[in-house]
Amino acid sequence: MSQDKLIREGDVAADFLEGLLDIADLDGDIDMDVDGDRASVSVVGGDLRSLVGRDGEVLDALQELCRLAVYRETGERSRLMLDVDGHRAARRAELVKLAEEAVAQVKESGERVALAPMSPFERKVVHDVVAEAGLGSESEGLEASRHVVVLPAS
Amino acid sequence: MGAPLDEVIEHLVAGIVDHPDDVDVRAKSTQRGELFEVRVNPADLGKVIGRQGRTATAIRTVASALAGRGGARIDFVDVDRRR
Repeated sequence: MSQDKLIREGDVAADFLEGLLDIADLDGDIDMDVDGDRASVSVVGGDLRSLVGRDGEVLDALQELCRLAVYRETGERSRLMLDVDGHRAARRAELVKLAEEAVAQVKESGERVALAPMSPFERKVVHDVVAEAGLGSESEGLEASRHVVVLPAS
Repeated sequence: MGAPLDEVIEHLVAGIVDHPDDVDVRAKSTQRGELFEVRVNPADLGKVIGRQGRTATAIRTVASALAGRGGARIDFVDVDRRR
């Protein structure tokens, strides 16, 4: 996807979010960026906890609606990533640490280690860290119980 | 201070449908508290509900988060349906 298209995705999502902040009388600034092949939009500043919700539930819903708003304008499915109040960034740092600990454990014991169930995005973060550390991993389980298993070097 | 929920819902729905001018949100008092009736163009009804109700759930989740205590009850109907 071209850079211009991703910037346009960010613009559409930013308009949608700005309108929402306005109506809900929430303070917040919107930052836009392109992260690899995805548009990345974050809302920062102000008290935005209501837009994150428990376990990021509201954030995920809002991201879904942003993607639909982009689809309406561009006619193309969007993989845009939304963050609010640094929630995703903090969760990402937590996942990297978890993955590194699992890698260390597998290297020491030579046995596979199963992690807790995670969303597709979270699992991707873990798979990437494991691959970078030179080990393999796979996802096991269905739907809500789908989780990453870190495998020993063969 | 809660946000004006009817406006929040209207903004969320109008942002994703093909006929934003047809979106109409009305608050109704019911025995179980306030209920928001969201009317959309019949061509957009599938869009606001989404696969397995996923979009309707996302709209309810965001609106409830901004409603504070008690959340928000929302019904989606198309503009042809009588009250």
